[in-house]
Amino acid sequence: MICKMKTKGYAKHYYLMLLPGFIWLTLFSIVPMFGIVIAFQDFNPGLGMFHSEWIGLENFKYMFTLNDSKTIFFNTIFIAVMKIIANMIVPLTFALLLNELRVIVFKRWIQTIVYLPHFLSWVILSGILLDIFSYTGPINGILSMFGISPTLFFARADLFPFIIVGSDVWKEFGFNTIIFLAALTGINPSLYEAAAIDGASRLQRLLNITLPGIITTVILLSVLSLGNVLNAGFDQIFNLYNPLVYSSGDIIDTWVYRTGLLNLQYGLATAMGLLKSVISFTLITISYFLAAKFANYRIF
Amino acid sequence: MSKSKKCIQILLAGMLIVLTACSNSSSSKESPNSSTKEAETPAVQKEADPFGKSEEPITIKIGKEIDASDKSLPAGDSPESNQYTRYIKDKLNIDTKIIWQAAAGKDYEQKINLSIASDDLPDALVVNETQFRQMVKSGQLEDLTDVYNEYASPTIKGIIETTKGLALKSVTIDEKMYALPNVTPESDMVHYMWIRKDWLDKLGLQTPKTIDELEKVAKAFVEQDPDGNGKADTVGITGPQLGGNINADFINPNSNNYGFDPIFASFHSYPGYWLKDSNGKTTYGSIQPETKQALSTLRDFYTKGLIDREMSIRKDAQELIKNGTSGIYFGVWWSGGYGPLGDAIQNNPKANWQAYAVPLDINGEFTPHMGNPSNQYLVVRKGYEHPEAAIQMQNLLFRDESKFDVNVAISNYPLRLVFASMDVMDVTYKMMKEVLAGTKKPEDLNLPGYNLLKTDAENIKKVKLEPYDNYDIQYWNPNADIGVWKRMYSTLVGISPLQQPYKKTYSVTYSQTKTMERRWAALDKLEKETFLKIIMGAEPIDSFDQFVLDWKKQGGDQIIAEVDEVAKQ
Amino acid sequence: MVIEKTFGSKAFDVFLIVLLGGTALLCVLPLWYTLVISLSENAAASSGQVGLWPVGFNFSSYQEIMGDSKFFNSFWISIQRVVLGSSLNFVIIILLGYPLSKNAKDLPFRNVFMWILVFTMLFNGGLIPWYQTVKSLGLINNIWALVLGQSVPVFSVILVINYFRNLPKEIEEAALVDGAGPWYMLVKIFIPLAVPVLATVTLFSIVYHWNEFFNGLVLMSNADHYPLQTYIQQLVVIIDAQTMTAEQIQKMSELSNQTLNAAKIFIAMIPILVIYPFLQRFFINGITLGSVKE
Repeated sequence: MICKMKTKGYAKHYYLMLLPGFIWLTLFSIVPMFGIVIAFQDFNPGLGMFHSEWIGLENFKYMFTLNDSKTIFFNTIFIAVMKIIANMIVPLTFALLLNELRVIVFKRWIQTIVYLPHFLSWVILSGILLDIFSYTGPINGILSMFGISPTLFFARADLFPFIIVGSDVWKEFGFNTIIFLAALTGINPSLYEAAAIDGASRLQRLLNITLPGIITTVILLSVLSLGNVLNAGFDQIFNLYNPLVYSSGDIIDTWVYRTGLLNLQYGLATAMGLLKSVISFTLITISYFLAAKFANYRIF
Repeated sequence: MSKSKKCIQILLAGMLIVLTACSNSSSSKESPNSSTKEAETPAVQKEADPFGKSEEPITIKIGKEIDASDKSLPAGDSPESNQYTRYIKDKLNIDTKIIWQAAAGKDYEQKINLSIASDDLPDALVVNETQFRQMVKSGQLEDLTDVYNEYASPTIKGIIETTKGLALKSVTIDEKMYALPNVTPESDMVHYMWIRKDWLDKLGLQTPKTIDELEKVAKAFVEQDPDGNGKADTVGITGPQLGGNINADFINPNSNNYGFDPIFASFHSYPGYWLKDSNGKTTYGSIQPETKQALSTLRDFYTKGLIDREMSIRKDAQELIKNGTSGIYFGVWWSGGYGPLGDAIQNNPKANWQAYAVPLDINGEFTPHMGNPSNQYLVVRKGYEHPEAAIQMQNLLFRDESKFDVNVAISNYPLRLVFASMDVMDVTYKMMKEVLAGTKKPEDLNLPGYNLLKTDAENIKKVKLEPYDNYDIQYWNPNADIGVWKRMYSTLVGISPLQQPYKKTYSVTYSQTKTMERRWAALDKLEKETFLKIIMGAEPIDSFDQFVLDWKKQGGDQIIAEVDEVAKQ
Repeated sequence: MVIEKTFGSKAFDVFLIVLLGGTALLCVLPLWYTLVISLSENAAASSGQVGLWPVGFNFSSYQEIMGDSKFFNSFWISIQRVVLGSSLNFVIIILLGYPLSKNAKDLPFRNVFMWILVFTMLFNGGLIPWYQTVKSLGLINNIWALVLGQSVPVFSVILVINYFRNLPKEIEEAALVDGAGPWYMLVKIFIPLAVPVLATVTLFSIVYHWNEFFNGLVLMSNADHYPLQTYIQQLVVIIDAQTMTAEQIQKMSELSNQTLNAAKIFIAMIPILVIYPFLQRFFINGITLGSVKE
């Protein structure tokens, strides 16, 4: 009780602490956010967003008539969902296997090496990937050893999403492994000892102790990733795509960029961006309540 | 304890950073204001003189494309201060200030678009057609009608008149002139075949004239090891690079090097062009059956491996030409010497690239599409006090082009527009022949509007060896002066194919209509994607028919009707 | 740990070592390949003859970079950006994370603030209004545009909130009994306890500021102000022939040089390669987002 009383006067200090951050937020996020009105305008740069003509939902109506809209929504969701799933399964498997490894030095080395790519930018990695997957590059070289004729990977719309997902997993799995390893360290070691005394095999221990021990983490991460269903990775695709793979690789973010900045169709681009934000926000809200309800966990 | 002390220090450091941030921002805010003050001083009333020097200094703020690799500026010079800008200051009392610069190409376009969209324009700028129309629509541009009439020099006006009104038409909207258009020589509009003649000779082949012959030659280039290194590493035909276009269109009709325009044209297919059909009605070239036919041929070539497999993925189309693995490409006159050939002959001095006005159509005629003389527009921000300054700069730099040190790249011109009489290369070609034949002397060639002619005449014999009428590479001496060689090789080899008569096809319009402003980006994307996929075998040839339906449905029909209206006017 | 010595179990160990070692190798091979390319002859590299070992071993690419003042200029800008950006993020993340880790009773309207943060993470007015705002603050061409441009790193704030929240309540209560004020509590008690998560979010800041290229492209109006990643992105940028003059295309194509680009890419990786092993020991405790209170 005393404590509660004491902390009462703290609130104004807390507000003071929040102040600099919220000033920053206001200047660089909240003020520019008023640009959302462009989505409802026939935006004329000469008149600015205060005087441009209001056209209601015209931009949205036009957006839905475009074939592109269907394509980019499908591509975005397809790539993002595949990434979410693969970025869950691969690191989980890797973490479980790493956990079984009993040479500790080796374990630490592998752990350190595999998350190296996480720290490299897509600008750099795209440079590397374009080289490796080029017509005369090493991947085609290896394929030709097996008698497979070389192919132009970055011209193949059928392969492009998989290259994107694959390279993303390659870049991120090491880092995601750490999250699962952290969860694994939380399992009570006495459980394993008891199981060993009972004569349980490694596989049985994995199934009966390890997996149940981290299942909540897995569920929680899945719920949290709901907010990313429309984030397929602008940096990565922007640096790797080309018109030949637009049909399978163009995503909302790259489309918005091209439409707004290269084709000068501001209203349309803003409308698409807004739609994406609304959907993402809804999904995050859902995941917030799902996590609270089923995992008793407050995300924020 | 020590840990927490550190934290306080970091906190303090953070606060300091925030404080300096604030002070920084205010100081940099002031600087643009101070420079506008100069410009705001009222200009002294004066007679309109194209070359008149202002008594008060005038400041013109510009956005500029720059060339990251340019090392031609002497030490201490910059894009903002160099022989050109100092000359302008000296003769006109105009200070050039670059308020932003970006690498030529996409980055420059992006910067302009950002300027337009945020209504934050420099005083003057060189823009493309789409940007120009957007700026007019947004009311961001100064009406230059009077300024042009009063201040443009007679030479500039003369050159603009050589386009017979085309150039002025492209910048005149509602009877107001909103930009100074450039004028591209006609030779920049015609695409034709460049081929390794030494390979033809080695394999005992004739120069291909028809599509069938082209196929045979390309096949031989791929299969018969023309470079004689014992490896099957040669490519028949070079294609466009990543982001390049397989064909020119009405918005960008000129200089589509490494595209396939001549192949389309030999089928009388003009994708991207607005055409008149036999009934006098407007149609669109990309949806015609001829285009399907041309695409199917290109697809066939690609499947057979005659076209570079990495076309449209490769970052640099010139790569294969330079390293001697490609034997054929399509381009305009300057894609020769000015293009990859300088490097190609450094790598292999025997690489004998020659140009021919082929392939021919079914009647044996060369039938290329033609472009629009104007594709760059010098615009002035609405409300800029000295719109005449931008025009005067053009007058001056064009008149005195030959006075500058040629070693400094001309890309350092502030606000550079390509200005050349429509026939400039044709005249240059003819005059060079006369100079070589001894019937004209350099001093005879001081023609207004053809500034480089005299210098060319003085230089040509440095690089061209006898016999003068044979342009094969062994009769040149590139090492004497590679810069001169590039220009003269492009001129003699590149312009000679255009000396025979040929059948020109123009687009009904080279400007965008109202519906296009909204719909064109999507339609254009649909078209380019479909064509590329058809050629590269990612989609069946019959997807062309679906494309035509989609194109019409998604606004194409409406646009055709609009263009038809334009054509009637 | 329990140790078993059956044959099957040993075979499984060997299998594991091979599998995991192989995967680890897969993670470094592409980087090795880049190094190899950068040390090879350009001709061999562009014709695809280079494998796992340099062909025509030489340092000429690196020598050329040593003379490239633009490269080092950009490198320096990136360093400044990382130092300023991560220091600022560090301070702001703590100042937001600590109060927001309190519940709504201690901090009235806490949830309103929280939802505002989350909202700004997802909604934006698009590139142009954002550019105009940065412009009107006078930050174009200023390193502070890169430092401040992306606004508050909300995700990191959420991580820190979670970490603070999971700390035992007794610590705070004990301090309160001793009469600790909120600032004292934050600086003397909470920050020292939060070192793992703070190290983690600082690493995020460093990596973000080092790797980000797009803001550099948009907010800097002169290549002299580009950070390193923007500079490198320019090297692999598409050449748009139609808007360029003959001379420019000529020059641009001289720029494209596979071995030189590889060398630049490799040098750009070095700072990250150097710092990350030092920070890694914090991660396992730092990322607690996924761990649920027992």
